Amino acid sequence: MVAASCMLTGRISQVPRCGMVENKNDGEADSGRSSGKWAVPTGRRTDEWSECLVLIGKSNDRAAFTRFFRHFAPLIKAFALAGSSLSAAHADELVQEVMLKVWQKASGFNPEKAAASTWIYTIARNCRTDMFRRLQKFDTPLAADDLNIELEGEEPFTVLHTRRGSDRIKDLMGQLPPDQAQILAKVYMEGKSHSEAAAELDLPLGTVKSRVRLAIQKLQVQMDRQ
Amino acid sequence: MTKHHPSNDFLMEHAAGSLPVAQAACVSAHLSYCERCRRTDGQLQTVGGAMLERLDPVSVSESLLDTVLARLEDPAPLAYAGQTEVSALPGLLQRLTNKDFSQLVWKRVTRALSISYLSTGDTSHEFALLRIAAGGRIPEHTHGGNEMTLVLEGGFSDGRDSYHPGDFIYRSSEDTHAPVALDGEDCICLTVLDAPLKFTGWQHRWLNPFLKLRAS
Ligand SMILES: [Zn+2]
Repeated sequence: MVAASCMLTGRISQVPRCGMVENKNDGEADSGRSSGKWAVPTGRRTDEWSECLVLIGKSNDRAAFTRFFRHFAPLIKAFALAGSSLSAAHADELVQEVMLKVWQKASGFNPEKAAASTWIYTIARNCRTDMFRRLQKFDTPLAADDLNIELEGEEPFTVLHTRRGSDRIKDLMGQLPPDQAQILAKVYMEGKSHSEAAAELDLPLGTVKSRVRLAIQKLQVQMDRQ
Repeated sequence: MTKHHPSNDFLMEHAAGSLPVAQAACVSAHLSYCERCRRTDGQLQTVGGAMLERLDPVSVSESLLDTVLARLEDPAPLAYAGQTEVSALPGLLQRLTNKDFSQLVWKRVTRALSISYLSTGDTSHEFALLRIAAGGRIPEHTHGGNEMTLVLEGGFSDGRDSYHPGDFIYRSSEDTHAPVALDGEDCICLTVLDAPLKFTGWQHRWLNPFLKLRAS
C-alpha cells in the first residue's frame, strides 16, 4: 500500500472512508482474453522479423530467435547508447533484458497490430526507463510496463489503420529534413523531453515543439488539430 | 466517449517515454478510457520503431548471444498480481490504490472536498485523488503550478464545459476555475500538479476565511 497520508505535513487527518463507488464505464478492463497465438497473415504485407516473432511465440523457435537477435541486438545496443545515456556494460545488460523479454512476450505479438520494430521499440523503451530509474535509485511502484496501454481487442478498422500507418511512416521517415530528424532522434532515441532537447540544442522550446509537430505531420501520423 | 484529450505534445512525449512518471501515469490512465488516443499512441510508437531501425547498429559480442540463449528457459518474472477482478479503474491506478478507492486514506479539506495522496516516487509532481461531494463546489482558485486532471468517476463542470469519466483536462498556473461536481454522484478525479511547494500554498488557501464553500 502506498503512502496515502499527506506528504506535505506527514499527518493523516480524518479518515472519511470512501464507500465503494459503483463502476461506471464498462467499455474497458477486458484484459482476460487474448493470450493469442497469431498466424502469419496471408495476402498482407508482413516482414521477416514479424515472422520470426510469430515462430518464437508459437513454437519457441530458437533459430528464429537467433536471427531476430542478430538483427535487433545491435540496434538495441545503439538505442541504449544514444545520447551516451548508458555505459557499454549497461548497454549490454539492456540488450539482454530486452531480448529475454522478446522471448517471454513473443506469444502476445500480433503481426496485424504492430510491426516487429514497433513492438520491440516499446519493450526497449520501457526496459531503458526502468534501468535508468534503477541506476538513479528512483523508487517508484510503477514499472514502465504499467504505463503501457496495449491496443487490446480494438476494432478491425483500428488495427488495419495502425498497420498501414506503420508501413507509411517507415517510408516517409527517410524524407524528413535533417533538423526535424535530429529532434525526433533526441526525443525518441535519447528519450529527452522537449525541454531537455531544447536545452541541449540551444533552441527555444517553441522551436523544438514545432519541429516535432512538423515531423509528425510529415510522417502522416493522424493527430487532431489543436 | 471521452471529449477532452491530452495535447499532441503530451501524447508524443508519452510515446517517446520522456514524461515524468506521475504525468505519464495520468496520460496512460486516459489512454485506457480513450480509443482515439490509443490509436494515436500506437502510431507514435511506430515512429519510435521506424527510428530504431534507422540507427547505426553497434556490434554485440557473440558471447552475449550465448548468454541470452542460455537464459531463455529461466522462469519469467511473475507478472504483477491483481487485476483479477473486472474493474472500471485503469490497471495502474488499481496498483497504486490497492485495487479501489475504498481502502484509501482521504484527507478532508472542506465539507465538499477530500484528497488522497498517492505515491508515484516522482518528487517533482504531486499525484493525488480528489473527491468532490455530489453537487459540491470548490471555490474559485488558481494553482501554484500546472495541473493535469483526469475524471475517474462522476463528473464536474467548470462553467466552460462539463467533464465525465475519461476526460483529461490540463490547466496552466494562470487559469482560474471554480469546478462544481455534477449532481447525483461524488466526483473522483486524478490530479497531477507540478511545483508541489506552491501546492502547499494552494492547500492552505482553504483555510482562508474569505473562502466560503457552497456545498449543496
Ligand atoms: Zn483521448
